[in-house]
Amino acid sequence: MSEVIVITSGKGGVGKTTTTANVGTGLAQMDKKVVLIDTDIGLRNLDVVMGLENRIVYNLVDVVEGNCRMKQALIKDKRYPNLYLLPSAQTRDKSAVTPEQMMKLTEELREEFDYILLDCPAGIEQGFKNAIAGADRALVITTPEVSAIRDADRIIGLLEANEIKQIHLIVNRLRMDMVSRGDMMSIDDVTDILAIKLIGAVPDDEQIVISTNQGEPLAGRTDTLAGQAYMNICRRVTGEEVPLLDLAAKSSVWSKIVNLFKKN
Amino acid sequence: MSQTVVLKSNKYGINLILDHSIDFDQLLKDIAAKFEEAASFFKGAKMALSFEGRTLTQEEELRIVDTITSHSQLAIVCIVDNDKLREQMIREAIEQQEEEDAVKTGQFYKGTLRSGQILECEASIIILGDVNPGAKVVCRGNIVVLGSLKGNAYAGAGGNETAFVAALEMDPVQIKIGDVIGRSADKAFWVGRKKKKKAEPVIDPQVAVVKDGNIYIEPITRGLLNNL
Repeated sequence: MSEVIVITSGKGGVGKTTTTANVGTGLAQMDKKVVLIDTDIGLRNLDVVMGLENRIVYNLVDVVEGNCRMKQALIKDKRYPNLYLLPSAQTRDKSAVTPEQMMKLTEELREEFDYILLDCPAGIEQGFKNAIAGADRALVITTPEVSAIRDADRIIGLLEANEIKQIHLIVNRLRMDMVSRGDMMSIDDVTDILAIKLIGAVPDDEQIVISTNQGEPLAGRTDTLAGQAYMNICRRVTGEEVPLLDLAAKSSVWSKIVNLFKKN
Repeated sequence: MSQTVVLKSNKYGINLILDHSIDFDQLLKDIAAKFEEAASFFKGAKMALSFEGRTLTQEEELRIVDTITSHSQLAIVCIVDNDKLREQMIREAIEQQEEEDAVKTGQFYKGTLRSGQILECEASIIILGDVNPGAKVVCRGNIVVLGSLKGNAYAGAGGNETAFVAALEMDPVQIKIGDVIGRSADKAFWVGRKKKKKAEPVIDPQVAVVKDGNIYIEPITRGLLNNL
């Protein structure tokens, strides 16, 4: 049974696109057939994060307007043959597509894919409405900042009003050193306010910046904490029960040795 | 001596402003005199009649109409109730009843109110969930939040300052009761907990009421509840 998941946040710059790329990559590693849709028409960048920009010929708007067939617009990932990207148009704007067209599009993709991930634009306007139209469930991204949490709260309200039943929270860019000092909100502080189920927390990791710049999502890379965190999120998305990663664990030489023994 | 009967035209016809201190029979004579004077002016006009300044029984009203028709050619089509005092009394009674109903009856709302959501209610409301910052509850009666009140609450929206706002955790942005507004102290939305062990959450239910034109937030005690 296929699932359509929208990745949204309200506020911009909290990591929707990075999360979409990494969750998509992680699910593909788990041998799921996955398609990523960039719904941010006019501000296309999921293709850049995935490192697939040079392969774009057709886009989402071309498919909706019937300029090409779905198969022609889907770009196969360079690492995983079961991962596809439907890029957004760069020369148009959000009004080029309607929620009805998005519903039709996702219905069509359901036949072929296990997971359809929609990278939602920031804001609550047309682009947001388009992105959530065909979604079964949502991953709401927030950072532990008051502004991002306020926007996430608004978004959750709108998702509930649109009868999206399954809404999960990802707390992104956690800095455990700041949390332990009492200078940053903890995961509990965030979930207390938003009152929805947490599906994962991702630490603030400079490896994310590096991987984004290289166009290589790091989900599943066990040498980074963020990579492990994304992989855990993917497993939870598929319904597995996975305990929360200990983000405070400093990757010291000693802890690496301990982890090595734990694995064996 | 002031006139005991004054004629005024209004949107229905004529309005009789009557002296309330003199004897009714004397009043009738005065009315007769007044309309005889004006008979040539009114001729056979058809008009509605209304009274003001004196509370009249139905019989008295009919006698006045008889007096008018026998002393002029005026045709009184109907009597329009123009008793401002009575109207005001009725309106006040209805409003008071509405306020009482608003305070006595209530509705439940299950769920968390999130930023941008507004919950409006004609009676009182009990919310099973939180009211988050940016959300708003407006109702004529009382507001009870079985959760955290972190947004805006407006109780007694009809102007009732005896309404109250109660919450298990009281941390509102603004509270308005009747026409009195109170806002929270200026503080950071989230204050870091400096090296504090995560203590068991203490439930500290509080209630906001209006006293001397200000909003006070106090812990809920038996004595306070009896005074609500």
